[in-house]
Amino acid sequence: MHAKSSALADNATVLRYALVAPAVFIILMIGLYPFVKLAATSVQDITMFGADRSFQGFKHYARLMEDDRLWEAIWHTTVFTAIALPIELILGYLLALLFLHPLPFRRTLIAIILLPTVISPIVAGATWRLMLDQRFGPINQMIGWIVGGEVEILWTINPTFVWPAVLAAEVWQWTPFMFLILLAALSNVDTEQLEAAEIDGAGPWTVFRKILLPAILPVVVIAVLIRGLDLVRVFDVIWTMTQGGPGTRTETISIYAYQMAFREFEVSYSSAIAFFVIVLLTVIVIAALRRVELAR
Amino acid sequence: MDRRRFFGLTATSALAYGVLGSSGASAQGAATQAIEAAKQYAGTTLNVLYEAGLQPLDPKNFTGPLWEELTGIKINVIESPVDQMFTKTMQAHMANSGAYDVLNVIPNQLPDLALAGALEPLDGFVEKYAYGDELDAIAPVYRDNQMKVEGTIYGLPDDGDVLIMYYRRDLFDDPENKAAFMDQHGYELAPPTTWEQFSQIGQFFTDKYAPDIYGAGMLRAPGNAQYLFQERFRVEGGKFFDDETMRATVNSQIGVDIFNAMIAENDFMPPGVEQWGFIEAFNAFLAGDIAMTISWPPVGRWAAGYGKGTEALNWIPETTVADTIGYALPPGGHPELAVGFSLAVASGSQNKEAAYLFAQWMNSEEISLQRVQLPYALRDPFRTSHFESEEYRNRWPTAGEYLDTLKAGAETGLIDLSLIQTDRYEEGIRQALSRLWGGDDPQAILDDLAAQWDELTDRIGMEKQKRVYLDWSSKPNAYPT
Amino acid sequence: MKPWSTGWRLALRFGLAVVIAVMFLFPIYWLAAISLKSPEEIFAYPPVWLPEKPNFSSYITLFRDGDAWAVWNSLVTAGISTVLAMIFGTLAAYAIVRYRTGGDHLAIWIISQRMIPPICVAFPIFLLYVLLGLIDTYTGLIALYTAFNLPYVIWMMRGYIQDIPVDLEQSAMVDGLSRLAVIRKVVLPMVKGGFFATAVFTFIFAWNDFLFALILTRSEVVTYPVQVTGYFGSQSTFWSKIGAMSMLGVLPMMIVVGTMQRFIVRGMSMGAVKG
Repeated sequence: MHAKSSALADNATVLRYALVAPAVFIILMIGLYPFVKLAATSVQDITMFGADRSFQGFKHYARLMEDDRLWEAIWHTTVFTAIALPIELILGYLLALLFLHPLPFRRTLIAIILLPTVISPIVAGATWRLMLDQRFGPINQMIGWIVGGEVEILWTINPTFVWPAVLAAEVWQWTPFMFLILLAALSNVDTEQLEAAEIDGAGPWTVFRKILLPAILPVVVIAVLIRGLDLVRVFDVIWTMTQGGPGTRTETISIYAYQMAFREFEVSYSSAIAFFVIVLLTVIVIAALRRVELAR
Repeated sequence: MDRRRFFGLTATSALAYGVLGSSGASAQGAATQAIEAAKQYAGTTLNVLYEAGLQPLDPKNFTGPLWEELTGIKINVIESPVDQMFTKTMQAHMANSGAYDVLNVIPNQLPDLALAGALEPLDGFVEKYAYGDELDAIAPVYRDNQMKVEGTIYGLPDDGDVLIMYYRRDLFDDPENKAAFMDQHGYELAPPTTWEQFSQIGQFFTDKYAPDIYGAGMLRAPGNAQYLFQERFRVEGGKFFDDETMRATVNSQIGVDIFNAMIAENDFMPPGVEQWGFIEAFNAFLAGDIAMTISWPPVGRWAAGYGKGTEALNWIPETTVADTIGYALPPGGHPELAVGFSLAVASGSQNKEAAYLFAQWMNSEEISLQRVQLPYALRDPFRTSHFESEEYRNRWPTAGEYLDTLKAGAETGLIDLSLIQTDRYEEGIRQALSRLWGGDDPQAILDDLAAQWDELTDRIGMEKQKRVYLDWSSKPNAYPT
Repeated sequence: MKPWSTGWRLALRFGLAVVIAVMFLFPIYWLAAISLKSPEEIFAYPPVWLPEKPNFSSYITLFRDGDAWAVWNSLVTAGISTVLAMIFGTLAAYAIVRYRTGGDHLAIWIISQRMIPPICVAFPIFLLYVLLGLIDTYTGLIALYTAFNLPYVIWMMRGYIQDIPVDLEQSAMVDGLSRLAVIRKVVLPMVKGGFFATAVFTFIFAWNDFLFALILTRSEVVTYPVQVTGYFGSQSTFWSKIGAMSMLGVLPMMIVVGTMQRFIVRGMSMGAVKG
């Protein structure tokens, strides 16, 4: 997973473990109990009305296999991630290119672009809903100015517009994350190499493929991974904008899991869902990581 | 929560003392009884769960400090967004954390919480502290519907939530409008008593005044609109379930007709009304943008200007309809007793007795009359004596009519559907409505809803759910009679 | 010289950058405007773009009633957890890169901790915290945010440390520096840009957390996102307070981003030497 050359020859037996120990300890302290607890409750029978802690087999897993609403939520989450992630990556990259070279007020402008990430997603969702409101919001008003007339678009209600509305809020909030990470990565690219390539008459595409991409790839992979994982568990923004509606059209895994766990208190069933989702994600991500490693 | 300053504390305490002084003659009220009995718990602290926002101002600024002065028991208010209260209550119960002593419970969630064992049965306390008489004096609709689960008392009904109609009297009384409407429809222009009239009147105003004024603006966001649907469905003769088979019958022709009518009505309401919740409809009504709306009781007080100038209400826009607001029952005459609150005692509390006494004291004739008159209060009149209070009836010029309408609503109102896992059934209605606004076919939506409910019922256990449903539907205000 | 830094190209880039910045800023402007609007203006039709008479009463109320305390709670929990995650995460990342501690398995196990949707583990963590008495405490939230951000820190820092040439460190050790001194005096300065970029987002992730804060707090350490949701009532919505509280939340972040950016930008302009 990393270049061999970056390993050290000296063999500090104690230090090599001492350095990772605190981190591993903290992760285990918080992470282990819930994990074991989830696994355990998922084969028991605990609901709002009672707890049967005897082994119940895998009936909750059987149930989730047949739970159309869960699979719909998984599908929504997948599509949402598959659309939002590339948009954020590409916009973030283009933005980073724009800001890579000297520019008046560069720092101020960068700080402004980073602001959306510090608005609590709950508030971000509510703000977008207010801005997209038919009557009290400025967005339809602006569209009206452009097309010259009143427009009536019920962004958070109309099935055609609801995903674009949610995507807009998500992309607005998290493109800056991609932007900053890519900006940091691009700044580290060796400028001499770039200039040499230009003198050789290489086109922009060749420069990107041969020089830029390999240089920023490790950071991009991590950024995509982190953002992708965050997108898969998206909750706040969609919850405040649509509550998963209309119907269940914008319901994601987290929203469904929230309903099951915190409103219905189907503790065992929601544990089964949680455990299943964690395993599913782990398998997918590890497979993806290995592929990326192989490609390098 | 000592970091919060109790501004205005002295003023409200003084007010309360005045009240206590004047009623001191009648002595042995439930409030006095509670105070005497609670003194033995002086020095303890009660954790009270309240909906965040305006609601907690009552225990924080008024009842809490006063109770502490009278009994030496401290009140610690824990606030939570309303949709988290059930979650927090159930969580604390499942983890056995004993985090809360006094709970605010939405009445249709009483069965869930009681069956889960999260609530303490109160019959013993009621008897011990002779609260029976005053409990009986709670308006029958709340007393008979929002107190017991299968015969046991789990909550003290504490909030007269009811969705009544507010309208602009100036538009309805205008002679020109009256004449034109009579010409067009052949009957007197007055607050509608049927949904058909509602449509005709709404359309009439919109035709004449839009875009300045629309005929009506309603609660349409699914979370609110579900109550209006529940009400209308039953008013028109619909039944949620078959009494014998417990199959959902919400997808009957009645349901489909109502869905179609709701869609049609949106045409004479302001564009985007599909997104309106409490705050949007309230604001539009205050601004004079709509001739009719249906909402919770605070609209009727605040729109009339009650509490104007109170700091806690400085987020409310200036009302333009204070002098012309009219109150009426909604079409059909059976308003939904939407949401509401009952005071309950957590089964995990370490201080059940003191917790109960605080609840009894707050809920008593004497104190509750003060609480429902706090200008910022969200507790709406729920006792016969509240409706008749001379003091309250003189709070603003039309307060008498307001209280009469609430009282009438409290006689004919319909209670929210309440079952095991009631939230999932409600969630189904919410989703159905959001699909309706999204443009799906009403019959298909309701068929899906019925199927969803049936599946849920089967999973919970048909017999078990049927028992709870029959317990609910046997209550006097479950279906119109 | 560099054509993109001069003349009309520069003007074009600058114009574009300003337009984009305005687009990103607009929703925040809208929130800020709401916080200063009169109640009538918030729900005015057509929408009001500029409050006629800025009204600061919401800010005053937030401070007087103590609601603003929630921002402090957020600063404490996000700040301390960021410091802890950065220290432990960087050390771990260093060991994983330089000593290959745990091989790939450890790295993958660590990132797998980031795959767990918070919703899925929130309830077991609640139970655990009740058991440990950590509900509604700083310690509880700080430990949680540290744990949840460590995978991010470790993986990001692992990427940056990999890019540092080993020979630099080795020559430093030849000069007699201890291993820990090497990390502090050689490694850290070289990864400064990445270090602060990582810290900024670690802070932001903790700062924005809603779900855990909602479930694991009651009244004492309520953080700013949870406090804000209290303003959405069933029969009231304090939009002006929502706006004001959000602005109070944005301000410290502007300071944090502003200060950190100094390092990030300097780090970037220096450019790490490729190994």
